[in-house]
Amino acid sequence: MIAAEDEMPVGKRRPGLMRSPQFSSLVILTVLLAVFAIADANFLSPLNISNMMAFLPELGIIALGMTLLLTAGEFDLSVGAVFGLAPVVVMLLVQNGGVDIGAALLAGLLLCIAIGAINGLIVTKIGISSFLVTLSMLLVVRGAALYITQGFPLKSWDQPGFFVTLLAGSFNVGSFRFYTSLWWFIGLSLLAIYVLRYAKLGNWISAIGSNRNAAVARGVPADAVKVWLFILTSVLAGLAGMISAFRISAASPVAGTGYELEVIAMVVVGGTALTGGRGTILGTIVGALMLRAIRNGIVLIGVPGLAYNIFVGLIILAMLILHALLQKNAARG
Amino acid sequence: MEVLRLQNLQKSFGSVRALKNASFALKEGEVVALLGDNGAGKSTLIKAISGVFPIDRGDIYVRGEKVSIRSTRDAMDLGIETIHQDTSLAPDLSIARNLFLGREPVKLKWLGVFAPLDFAKLRDAASALLKRVGISKKLDADALVSTLSGGERQSIAISRAMQFAAKVIILDEPTNNLGVEETHGVLRFVKEVRDAGHSVLLITHNIHHVFQVADRIIVMRRGEIVAEQTVADTDLLTVESIITGADMSALLKETRAK
Ligand SMILES: Nc1ncnc2c1ncn2[C@@H]1O[C@H](COP(=O)(O)OP(=O)(O)OP(=O)(O)O)[C@@H](O)[C@H]1O
Ligand SMILES: [Mg+2]
Repeated sequence: MIAAEDEMPVGKRRPGLMRSPQFSSLVILTVLLAVFAIADANFLSPLNISNMMAFLPELGIIALGMTLLLTAGEFDLSVGAVFGLAPVVVMLLVQNGGVDIGAALLAGLLLCIAIGAINGLIVTKIGISSFLVTLSMLLVVRGAALYITQGFPLKSWDQPGFFVTLLAGSFNVGSFRFYTSLWWFIGLSLLAIYVLRYAKLGNWISAIGSNRNAAVARGVPADAVKVWLFILTSVLAGLAGMISAFRISAASPVAGTGYELEVIAMVVVGGTALTGGRGTILGTIVGALMLRAIRNGIVLIGVPGLAYNIFVGLIILAMLILHALLQKNAARG
Repeated sequence: MEVLRLQNLQKSFGSVRALKNASFALKEGEVVALLGDNGAGKSTLIKAISGVFPIDRGDIYVRGEKVSIRSTRDAMDLGIETIHQDTSLAPDLSIARNLFLGREPVKLKWLGVFAPLDFAKLRDAASALLKRVGISKKLDADALVSTLSGGERQSIAISRAMQFAAKVIILDEPTNNLGVEETHGVLRFVKEVRDAGHSVLLITHNIHHVFQVADRIIVMRRGEIVAEQTVADTDLLTVESIITGADMSALLKETRAK
C-alpha cells in the first residue's frame, strides 16, 4: 500500500514511465528477488550474490550487443559458438603455438571481427535473413571449435598475467568477492545506453529497425550500421568467452552452447522488441539480472535440476505476455 | 531557369522495363503533376531521381550541371527532397527525431556518429517547424509517430522536406488516405512551396487536385512519358483520356463528326 502511494506522483509526472517495458521488468525482478530471498535466506548472502555477479557479466556483455542488433531489426544466433571458439583459439595459440598472449588475443579479436563481418555482409548485401545466416554460422563456428580441439577441453590455463587480471581478476569488497568483468559490464552498459539513447548513431539504429526504407531515404547508411553491429556483437561474444575462460582457467569447445537463446531471452524479457525499432539497454540489464536470479534462485529453493528449464521457460513466457498486454494497453490509451 | 532535367532514363527490374527513355525538365518555381495509371512507372521515376536505386542508363542534370545520384544522401545534398508513397517515417521514433533523421543536430561534432544529439535544439526546431507548417492540432514534438494519424504523419513528412529548403520537392501521392481538411492543407502547402521559389513534382491519381495546383502535366504510360501539357491549355477530360490511353484519333473524329 505504502509503496503504491509513493509511486503515485511519479506516475502522474511521467505517465509513460510506469507503462514502459523496463519498468514492468524491474517490478517483476524485484518480486522475484523478494520471493527467492524469503524462500531461502542464503539467496542474499554475500557468497551467493558474489556468485551471481561473477556469471552476470558474461552473458550480460553479449546481451548489450544483441540489444543494439535487435533494435536495428536483426539478430545473431552465432554468439554462443563464438563465445566458445574465441578462447579455444587464443589458448591453443599460446599453449601449442608458443604465441605471445597479446598477439594471440589480437588474433582472437580479428577472428571475431571476421565472423561478424561475414554475418553482416551476407545479411545486408545478399539479403538473406539473419536467422538463417547466423544459424549456419553457429554450426560453422561450433564445428570449427570442435574440430581444432578434436572435441576435448584444453589443458587448464596456468599463466596468470596482465590480461587475465584485466579480464577476470577478482577483488573483495567486505565479504563480497567481485570480478573485474563486472567493471567491464558496467562500463559497456553505460556506453551502450549513451549510444542508443543520446548519440546520433542510436537514432539511426532505432530508425533502421523501425522502418529501414525511411531511414535509407534520409541518407542513413543502414547496411553499414548493421554490418558494424554484427561485428560488435561478435566481438562482445568473444570478449565474454575470454572472460569466462580466464575466470575458470580453462577453455572448452562446447562452452557457451545454448547461450544465443538465453541472451535473446534476456533482451526481449527486458522489453526490447524482437521486431526492431524499440530497444532498451536498461531493460536488458534488468533482463540479464532476472535470468541470472532465476537460474540461481530455483537451485537454492530446491527445484530439481532437470526441471530448471521448465521454470525458466515459463517465467520468460509470462514476461513476454505481460509486455504484449502492456503494449496493447498503450496502443489503446 | 531549369532546375532539373532528366534525359532518357531507363530502369528495369529483371524483365520488367519500369522506365523506358523517360525525359523531362522541371523549371524553377513550377509545380508539375506526374500522372499515370497504376504501374506506369511514376514511383520508379522519382525513386531514381531521389537516389533510392541507381538508374540503368540516362542522364540527370541539376541546374544545368550533369550529376550522378548514387544514394539518397547524394540527392539530398543536391537539394532534392522526396516524400515517398510508402510512408517515409520511422513509427517508433518521436516526431522530433523523425524530422531530423539523417541530419541530426549534435554537439561535439568531431565524435562523428557517436556525437550526442542536441536535444534542446532538436525540440525547439521541431516545435517551431510544426507551428510554421500550421498543423492545426497541437502536436508534441516528443510524441511517437506511431501514435499519429495518417494525415498527421503526412504533414510531418512534408514539414521535413520544407525545413531543409530543398530546390526540388517530390511528393508521391501525398493526399492518399487523407481527410478533406488535411488534403487542403497539403495542397495549400504545395502552393506555398512554389511561391517560395521551390519546384514541386507532384504524383497523384486525383485529377481535380492537379487542376488546383499544377502548372504543367506530364503523363506516363508503361514506363514512357506519353504527353506533356500546360494546365491552361487542356481540360480534365483530355487528360483523363491520355492517362487511360483511349484512342485520341477516334476521340477527335468523334468530336469533329459532331
Ligand atoms: N523493386 C521492384 N522490383 C520489381 N519490379 C518493380 C519494383 N518496383 C516497381 N516495379 C515494377 O515496375 C512497374 C512500375 O512501378 P511503379 O511503382 O513505378 O508504378 P507507379 O506508377 O508508381 O504505380 P502506382 O500508381 O500504383 O503507385 C510496375 O510494373 C512494378 O511492378
Ligand atoms: Mg507509385
